[in-house]
Amino acid sequence: MKVLELKNAHKIYNSSEIQVHAVNGVDLTFEEGEFAAIVGPSGSGKTTLLNMIGGLDHPTKGLILVENTDLSKLKPSKLIDFRMRNIGFVFQSYNLIPVLTAAENVEFIMNLQKKPKKERQKRTEDLLNAVGLGDRINSRPSKLSGGQQQRVAVARALASKPKFILADEPTANLDSKSTETLLQIMEELNREEKITFIFSTHDARVVKRARRVVTLEDGKILSDEISKN
Amino acid sequence: MENLKLAWRNLWRNRRRTMITAASVFFAVFFALFMRSLQLGSYDYMYKNVIESYSGYIQLQQKEWWDEKTIDNSFGYNLKLEERLLSDNNIVNTIPRLESFALASSGSNTKGVMVMGIDPEKESLLSDISKKVAKYHLSADAIAKILASKQLPEKATGNLPLFENVYYDDENRLLQDLGLNVEKKDSYLPVLARYSRIEGEQIKVGEPGVWLGQELAKYLEVQPGDTMVLMGQGYHGTTAAGKYQIKGIIKIPASDISGRIVYLPYDVAQELFHAENNLTSLILHVRDNSDKAIAETSQWLSEKIPDETRIIDWKEMNDVIIQQMEADNVSGMFMIGILYIVIAFGIIGTVLMMTAERRREFGVLVAIGMQKKKLASIVGYEMMMIGLLGVMAGIIISIPIILYGVNHPIVFKGELAHMMEEYDFEPKLVFETVSYYYLWQAFVVALMVLVSLIHPVRKILRLKVVNALRA
Ligand SMILES: Nc1ncnc2c1ncn2[C@@H]1O[C@H](COP(=O)(O)OP(=O)(O)OP(=O)(O)O)[C@@H](O)[C@H]1O
Ligand SMILES: [Mg+2]
Repeated sequence: MKVLELKNAHKIYNSSEIQVHAVNGVDLTFEEGEFAAIVGPSGSGKTTLLNMIGGLDHPTKGLILVENTDLSKLKPSKLIDFRMRNIGFVFQSYNLIPVLTAAENVEFIMNLQKKPKKERQKRTEDLLNAVGLGDRINSRPSKLSGGQQQRVAVARALASKPKFILADEPTANLDSKSTETLLQIMEELNREEKITFIFSTHDARVVKRARRVVTLEDGKILSDEISKN
Repeated sequence: MENLKLAWRNLWRNRRRTMITAASVFFAVFFALFMRSLQLGSYDYMYKNVIESYSGYIQLQQKEWWDEKTIDNSFGYNLKLEERLLSDNNIVNTIPRLESFALASSGSNTKGVMVMGIDPEKESLLSDISKKVAKYHLSADAIAKILASKQLPEKATGNLPLFENVYYDDENRLLQDLGLNVEKKDSYLPVLARYSRIEGEQIKVGEPGVWLGQELAKYLEVQPGDTMVLMGQGYHGTTAAGKYQIKGIIKIPASDISGRIVYLPYDVAQELFHAENNLTSLILHVRDNSDKAIAETSQWLSEKIPDETRIIDWKEMNDVIIQQMEADNVSGMFMIGILYIVIAFGIIGTVLMMTAERRREFGVLVAIGMQKKKLASIVGYEMMMIGLLGVMAGIIISIPIILYGVNHPIVFKGELAHMMEEYDFEPKLVFETVSYYYLWQAFVVALMVLVSLIHPVRKILRLKVVNALRA
């Protein structure tokens, strides 16, 4: 099933002097359960593309459809609600809420969604166990390592059962061991929960693990390949 | 609930800043309440000391008297009038006064004075003037003799010259001024009494004799027992002259009055001024002094009093004092207002820092699905909690202090007290309970918090997630 579709997406930044065509006519489709990497040199438009897909930024031209919903047609507050229900985010610098414990961070979006307490607690426990942090549920982010924080962030993104998860360079701040652990967890959750992961990366080891690799250059798709593994 | 929890935890991310901000609110609230209590206390004290003890709440006067205070503007007073006045339920007694001017002289000293004919017994319904008859006078001569006797501790002898020429109606005050222990009065008082005691006596209706204010006594260089002459113009141009024995020196705080006042029994004054049966004012001592009761009584009486007289109330008689109190009230509020503005800037600073350093976090929260309004309300709760913390602390801490102050006025002692008296300040801080003012504090702080939130809330509502995330 098609979860996401970009039709001729453009993003042009008009800074005072120069015009930057950060995303330049991208057509892309993602199916349910994909595990896709977006790669390309610095400045090729990866972040810009992910922001548009996530509804954080609007395309200058073109369409972003999430299961047939045109994101640019949503009013600002509806768009926020849409993100809460349908899109999971993992950021490069973890970005957990510092005053909440690991469990509370994971529960946070389910709280916004007004899920019943029992369900929230069960899912939080399951997810934290799944990311290997079952014993750190009551730790605040400042008491966790970067790798552990990013695992909580993945659990948080998954908690609301979104249609897909966007991760902009999720391993950029992690050492190779933590990167490996995180990737394993992401793969596992991708397989078990059938959730689409779309992540950007610079790291060749991460690229190798993706089942689909979209390469950008100057805002255009250079290649879009299904890898063999 | 979730939002409150988040707000509460956010408060303690920067414990010191939160505490400092809450403390500044606390300080403003505490100071405002404390100042207000003192202000109300001083007004109350003024009412008691000026209105209740001097002018009373209503007076009967000859129509022209208030504008032109001459003995010719006096009115006839008799039992029938008294009965008529007392038939009003609210009037419990009357206090007669005959007031005029004269020249007082003793030996080669002469001074223009105010002559107050009073009924000392009835006057005590208003004030404790009869208790203000001085008992001690630290004249230069007395001080020299006390020092020569060498019977006081060094501390006291050092203090003695500071209080040269001061009169005392209260022996405790004398001991305190000299730095002597009031508890040990038995060992010191006899020495002081031997050289500085002056014998005052009460004046009585029907008995010639006068009291002088202490400054006038100093000027005329007289002591109780001496005689003085009063000379002036009597009723309808007659000549008024009389020689009287000085029965006492009255310790009056206000220096300008004490330098020109002579009290004598009102019947003696009537005789002096050839104004038999006349009074310049008759204070109507009331049971209920509320504005409403005073108005009703005035209204009721206005038809029963002689044509030559009129009723005048305390507001008209004390307009200067009332204006002063109003001005003081306004300037007090102005000061507190400025204090609050300063504190408000502190709060604004805190809220600005709080939001600026959390911009990225705000971006994350909105990205993952928190509505901006909700986010703004969390920041609102945070500031409200700081405000509440400050207000509660201010109120809770000020209540016992104010209550203590109400029961234990601060009385200044020694030289400071005399200095204050010289400038006509009562050497005393009186507190008064403040009631609705507590609510005002909460209201003002809430207002400050709301104002301080305008900017951050706007910022949050206009937040661009992408920019915030990049920050
Ligand atoms: N807000 C902006 N205003 C102007 N230009 C921008 C803005 N954001 C991005 N750009 C420009 O758009 C282009 C694409 O930027 P983008 O951040 O999407 O690249 P990227 O592939 O994510 O790079 P990196 O690998 O370094 O993260 C760059 O040339 C960048 O300078
Ligand atoms: Mg990027």
